[in-house]
Amino acid sequence: MSGFFGALADAWAEIRVHKLRVLLSLIGIAVSVAALTAVIAFSEYQKQYQTEQSDRWGGRAATIAVAPYSDSGASIDVDDFSERFKRVSERFGFSHVSRTVQGLTLPVQLSEGVMDLPTRAFDPAFAAIHREKLLEGRWLRADDALALAPAIVISEPLWDRIGRVPLTQHPVLTVLGDAGGSYQVVGVTPRQGPWDEEPRIDVLYDAYTARIDGFPEGIVPVYEVWVDKQAATEIGPVLAMDLRAGLPDGVDVSVNRTDWAAQPGAEDSMATFELVTGGIAGVILALGALSLINIQLVAMRQRVREIGVRRAFGASSGRVFFSVLLESLVATTIAGVIGIAIVVAVLRSDLVVPTMFSGIQDVPPFPMRAAVIGLIASVAVGAIAGFIPALVALRVKVIDAIRF
Amino acid sequence: MSLVRLDDVTKSVTLADDSTLEILRGVSLEVGAGDHVSIVGRSGSGKSTLLNILGMLDAPTTGTVAFEGAEVRRMRSGRLDRLRGNNVGFVFQQFNLLPGRTALDNVMMPLGHARGRMFWNRRQIAADMLERVGLGHRIDQLADRLSGGEQQRVAIARALVRRPVLILADEPTGALDIDTGASVMSLLDEVATETEAALVTITHDLHVAARARRHYRLDAGLLAPADLTRAFEASTLAEPVPAGPVTVGMSPEPAEEVAG
Repeated sequence: MSGFFGALADAWAEIRVHKLRVLLSLIGIAVSVAALTAVIAFSEYQKQYQTEQSDRWGGRAATIAVAPYSDSGASIDVDDFSERFKRVSERFGFSHVSRTVQGLTLPVQLSEGVMDLPTRAFDPAFAAIHREKLLEGRWLRADDALALAPAIVISEPLWDRIGRVPLTQHPVLTVLGDAGGSYQVVGVTPRQGPWDEEPRIDVLYDAYTARIDGFPEGIVPVYEVWVDKQAATEIGPVLAMDLRAGLPDGVDVSVNRTDWAAQPGAEDSMATFELVTGGIAGVILALGALSLINIQLVAMRQRVREIGVRRAFGASSGRVFFSVLLESLVATTIAGVIGIAIVVAVLRSDLVVPTMFSGIQDVPPFPMRAAVIGLIASVAVGAIAGFIPALVALRVKVIDAIRF
Repeated sequence: MSLVRLDDVTKSVTLADDSTLEILRGVSLEVGAGDHVSIVGRSGSGKSTLLNILGMLDAPTTGTVAFEGAEVRRMRSGRLDRLRGNNVGFVFQQFNLLPGRTALDNVMMPLGHARGRMFWNRRQIAADMLERVGLGHRIDQLADRLSGGEQQRVAIARALVRRPVLILADEPTGALDIDTGASVMSLLDEVATETEAALVTITHDLHVAARARRHYRLDAGLLAPADLTRAFEASTLAEPVPAGPVTVGMSPEPAEEVAG
């Protein structure tokens, strides 16, 4: 007991006396531990970012997409299938369901003329499933379908086209053609990035279908269901079976998961990213450890006399070994904690993460894993960097060291 | 009672050209509790080797060393280290204080290897010891900033702080001027007597040797009892340090000779 505390006290005193040497050698360790921690944290953020990105397209984990199709080319009675889907989904008690139609266009009167603008029609749950977020205004609601001037959400590039009229002034788009009329802009979705120039309209499925006789040729709604990740594999086949029962001849239904988690290799690519960047941080850490060993070894030559004196006053060789080892261990652990603290402070400052991953919605909390790995790495480096000088210290001959 | 006992101890080392150098030849010495022993000898006569063997830092080539009746050769190194830490205090010629540490840290160092009360109260014990050697006001001073005499007093405090039964001093005044050396020696004597520790002093300074009760001379590896009375009388240093400023270069006769 007193041996351990004694060794710890010796190590701490040694660090205090050689502040500058220790400080200089530890900057490298602190930086490399910080790098390692940051890399792991970044990979965590990157994961979240990529997840969110792919959620925009494929839906959150787990999203099941149901699409009717016909083998024979016979037309599909969309209303009938919608009705069937509604019945089935009520039985399952799904919380988030959206009928989604992509690839539509609406002819819109803009200042430079009439333009066919890409349009999506869906149910309100779509926003939750696809992690859509708003720049301004509000999202579409179920009761918007009752409005005489259907509510729409437009993309930021389109908002720019109409002069970024504040939503409080109730801007309106004039749509021509079958579904023509005045459409009230209630919300704006932000650009996905600087490259995003797509002028797009989002409208409620019910509001759109109420104004048209049928979907254009070749366009069929997809029925998206957001279900629990664990239950997805069980629900899928049962859902498909239920929907297939009693379908007209020549019509079948495809049931697929579309979210990222169902994509093979999604996890692998993340692991590769982490491996590569982690490897680089590891090399930095190894360099830091080498320089620490180097400095400690040089310092050891100067400390031979001191070690000899300690031995003369009753320090056992084990105690000397342990003190020297602890010196590195205590120092690198402190350096590691400082490095980790800096990374945590920087990454939680709300400056770095939203800038690096623009558009990230749910910034994950600082990953504990990163901090723990950083700490383990710094302790391990301390143990390795302390072990070699400690071996040297062990071999100090008391008589040679003191030289009366 | 015998504290340390050397029986027919020899020490030889093999030199680079494979020849053997005998440093100690058949040395027998017994130091009892509370004994004050001085060993004088020329440089290279093997004094330090003898002290190393007495302090259990070095093992003899042949012969036996026993500490409090137990033969040292048979002990495992950990036990030997503990035995040394508990029972032996060293005072070195070059002080060998830990640089960059305060006087207090230096005196606390041996207590750091102790156990129990001595370990946990080490700060207080060390401070008391520094007080005892007259450095109570300088405990927080860095050891390397102290004067030579003060450093040696810190070294004495360090050697005595664990209340050893054996104090080994190697040329304790070698790096000090005569006055300071005398005061340091009387302090060492005093504290050793106070704690009933045996004191073995190695020196070539007859003045220092004179303080001991038993005297030995080491010559070419052979240890023999020495009668230093004649030597003291012959030595100019046998007298107390002369009063008044006497400086060799300014003594009157040579000056007259130059004038004549």
